[in-house]
Amino acid sequence: MGAKGRTGGGRTGGGFSVERPLWRAASAFRLLTLLYAVGTYPRVMDHYPDRTAGWVYLALLAVWTFATVRPFSSEQRCGWTWLYTDLATVVIGILLTRVFDAHGWVVRGDPTLPSIRAAGAVLGFAVMGGWLPAAVAALAVGVADIVETGGATAGNLHNIVLLLLAGVAIGYVIEVARASELTLAQALEIQVATRERERLARDIHDGVLQVLAMVHRRGTEAGGEAAELGRMAGEQELALRALIAEGLAPNPSYVAPVVPRRRRGALQEPEPESDEEQDLRSLIAPLADARVTVSAPGTPVLLPGPAVRELGAAVAAALDNVRRHAGERTQAWILVEDEPGEVVVSIRDDGPGFDAAARLGEAEREGRLGVSQSIRGRLRDLGGSAEVFSTPGQGTEVELRVPRGMADPSHQHGTPQHGTSRHSREGSVG
Amino acid sequence: MSSDEQAIEQSIRVMVVDDHPMWREAVARDLADAGYDVVATAGDGQEAVRRAPAAAPQVVVLDLNLPDLPGVEVCRRLMGHQPPPRVLVLSASGEHADVLEAVKSGATGYLVKSASRADLLDAVRRTAEGDPVFTPGLAGLVLGEYRRLAAEPAPADARVPAVPQLTDRETEVLRLVAKGLSYKQIADRLVLSHRTVQNHVQNTLGKLQLHNRVELVRYAIERGLDDGR
Repeated sequence: MGAKGRTGGGRTGGGFSVERPLWRAASAFRLLTLLYAVGTYPRVMDHYPDRTAGWVYLALLAVWTFATVRPFSSEQRCGWTWLYTDLATVVIGILLTRVFDAHGWVVRGDPTLPSIRAAGAVLGFAVMGGWLPAAVAALAVGVADIVETGGATAGNLHNIVLLLLAGVAIGYVIEVARASELTLAQALEIQVATRERERLARDIHDGVLQVLAMVHRRGTEAGGEAAELGRMAGEQELALRALIAEGLAPNPSYVAPVVPRRRRGALQEPEPESDEEQDLRSLIAPLADARVTVSAPGTPVLLPGPAVRELGAAVAAALDNVRRHAGERTQAWILVEDEPGEVVVSIRDDGPGFDAAARLGEAEREGRLGVSQSIRGRLRDLGGSAEVFSTPGQGTEVELRVPRGMADPSHQHGTPQHGTSRHSREGSVG
Repeated sequence: MSSDEQAIEQSIRVMVVDDHPMWREAVARDLADAGYDVVATAGDGQEAVRRAPAAAPQVVVLDLNLPDLPGVEVCRRLMGHQPPPRVLVLSASGEHADVLEAVKSGATGYLVKSASRADLLDAVRRTAEGDPVFTPGLAGLVLGEYRRLAAEPAPADARVPAVPQLTDRETEVLRLVAKGLSYKQIADRLVLSHRTVQNHVQNTLGKLQLHNRVELVRYAIERGLDDGR
């Protein structure tokens, strides 16, 4: 018996578990196979020169089996020592058959004394350690069988292979069941932890938000150094709020809480190059700060991943444009609209704007044109359009439109689509 | 601030509902300093609903994040009082779904807590006058809600009321509000009177609230009929 001790790692105890049913099944199997062995013996008893010796062995086996019901009922109570002893008991039984039974009958295929009770010992190894210990135990029984008959017979080999295969298969299934249970337990743990984290986030962050908002409000009123402090508090409040909104809102790009273990890292953020639909709001919302207001629907605005990224980049470019050319103190508003046929994003600032007549020259001078063209290029690739118009005194407005259903940049070749001028004072740059 | 405005504000009865003592006191003090009559304060939803009838505020400044009742539910219950107060939602959480629900159940104003003191005083005065207080953020939400309703499949049952729709002009006005234009700027751009712009904004809210009430009644009747069987 050269079975090396090998314990299955990291089993979960308590609650729902596959362990208890497994050990119960093994225990029941030992009892039932014992009854079979005892029931078989009278049939072949006549072949035995010494019948009493057989009965004595079977009585000992029965006492051992019944006495060890408790140790064999759970992993905590059962140890390798019990398993080895059990295996030794059946192996000795097999070898004793050669001693007690008439040699002629042994060679002709009389069942061994423990009979199929030997499989009970192998099953114990399978439940305890998986397929490898089961295979080793089955081999030990097989070797004993060969020694008993004094050589490998056809029936012998048949039984040995059957026992070996069954032991390995059951051991393997048990290992798979344990691995599944472990995965399930980890998924449940993550789920519980996430729920708790969300609850804490909601409670704690609400308090922090309140204080930050208050500092912002009071600081701004006090003026001077306190105003600077207030401004910083206000910015942090916005940043934190955006973070919470993003973290708690059900984001369709990463709903599934159960992921294969090797992809656990992907739980944190959506695949950057994914083609799956994403919520445009998740890219636009973080742009909000003390001078930028973001307005959007309460429901996800879904577009294919590449379109979301391009559109997000275009909006960020338009916002940069505002900062660079209309001044740091300029306010900006972003409006996201989810229409049946298209998604519209408008970016308006309250800067000086530009006069329609002098528009081109001024735009060129200020370098707006180049940025506008890069924005327009992105939108054209998406099959959409970008318009820039200005109303003196009411700032500049950029309107980006992306049609639905054709927003795949890899298949688009510059669709010539220009929005119709609905506004009397609007015009296009470049 | 002119003495006329002062006189109006003195008659405005306000109730402040916020679970955060720091905020509740600060808002109440600001309002009182500006001459408003703070008739009651409450730290949770049950207290707010209980005290509102006796205090009879014209305006309730309501934080949506309350420990016992959802702010939306508080808003709904306050609307059941006669006469119903006007509700101005003052929220730090910025949870969009809640704000939209509160507006649908009767709130006519929404302000984030980061708004300045002047903004708050102005918002309370306008709410008392029945003028909806729209932030660009709320306008974006309302636009989104109308589009969501329009995208829903048409009800097969003829008795079910049609979903509310915005007129082109209302859509135009709401979009401009969402882009941060003031009512005056909108009036200038669309060549309308300030009052007309206000009416358009008010209508967009009114239709949504009416639809919400009809839906609630329909739901109640359906449930009632089911129970009767």
